[in-house]
Amino acid sequence: MIMAEPAPIPVPETPVQTGEMELVRRAQKGDLEAYDQLIKRYQERIYATVYHMTSNHEDANDLAQDAFIKAFQALKSFKGGSSFYTWLYRIAVNKTINFLKQRKNRLHMSLNDLDFNTENNPDLVALISDKTPRREAGLKELQEKLNEALLKLSEQHRLVMVLHDVQGQSHEEIAEIMNCNIGTVRSRLFYARQQMQAWMADYLKPT
Amino acid sequence: MNDNENNFGLLRRLLAHKRQETPPPGYFNSFSGQIIARIRAGEDQEMQTDAERYFSEAPWLLKLLQAFELKPAFAGAFASALSLLLVFGIIYAERPDSAPQPLFQTSDQSAGSFAAASPSAVVQPSISSDITASNSAASSLQPVASLFGSQNVLVQPVNLSPAGN
Repeated sequence: MIMAEPAPIPVPETPVQTGEMELVRRAQKGDLEAYDQLIKRYQERIYATVYHMTSNHEDANDLAQDAFIKAFQALKSFKGGSSFYTWLYRIAVNKTINFLKQRKNRLHMSLNDLDFNTENNPDLVALISDKTPRREAGLKELQEKLNEALLKLSEQHRLVMVLHDVQGQSHEEIAEIMNCNIGTVRSRLFYARQQMQAWMADYLKPT
Repeated sequence: MNDNENNFGLLRRLLAHKRQETPPPGYFNSFSGQIIARIRAGEDQEMQTDAERYFSEAPWLLKLLQAFELKPAFAGAFASALSLLLVFGIIYAERPDSAPQPLFQTSDQSAGSFAAASPSAVVQPSISSDITASNSAASSLQPVASLFGSQNVLVQPVNLSPAGN
């Protein structure tokens, strides 16, 4: 069965896009209306990154909000050496990694808010092998297993995988966010995929 | 390798479907508003504990504590170093030592010499003792009956310029 690729995620707005630096400058002067627009611009992506790192909507909500607040407080120190969204991502990612380190043993997932369409998505259904012994596994279980497997990865490996394979960021962008070189990003991604592949072998359709 | 890539392809497709794990509809409508409200109310600062506030002022301390948590060996090494430093300090403190040599002449000596000198005499000692001499001379003047209205106040000009000028 041929599976359709999931719809591409929207390309993040780049800092050169009209008005962004102006909004940043205004926000640096304390203009909350301008900062509100910046939040709206990135809230979904920041939230999604944090959510896929924590697999918990409540934690993602708190961490994403805290990240935006911290960014506002630190906005005066933003000199424009990197793009605003990279800078913002770094704050959110550091906050999330610190949070995860402090609660390493916590495995608490909330999947109640999954979009209903997920369970009826033909592409997703096709991912479950009809020959595998886990065929009976429901889609919800598949999601749970996927999240459990993700949580088994180290924070750094998980982050690379989330940013690249879930959110569709380029290696270059990830390297900038994680403050490391592209080679490191690639090797971490390969290792993370190998691990995930092994853990999810029973659930993926064999070729 | 091809198998791996193929399997990675399946895995990537599966992961890509995680994008559909979204919060309930309308969630983001009030998201930015909540953040702005928190910023306005300064709620974030109020909710910080004293420790968090201290850590935000001294982030190196937080990093150190986190390093202790993550690397127990590092914590052990740090504790050992501190203990050694303490032991060394105790041993060093108990060692009999010669009487400490004064780095500078005490001001009493200069004060005495200036007190003995005539108040009208203009003293021009070395540069290093100028300020001391001035202060000492002032303190060795005749006692003043009251702060105001006294007729007997002796005024001695003070020369603050270095000797030879």
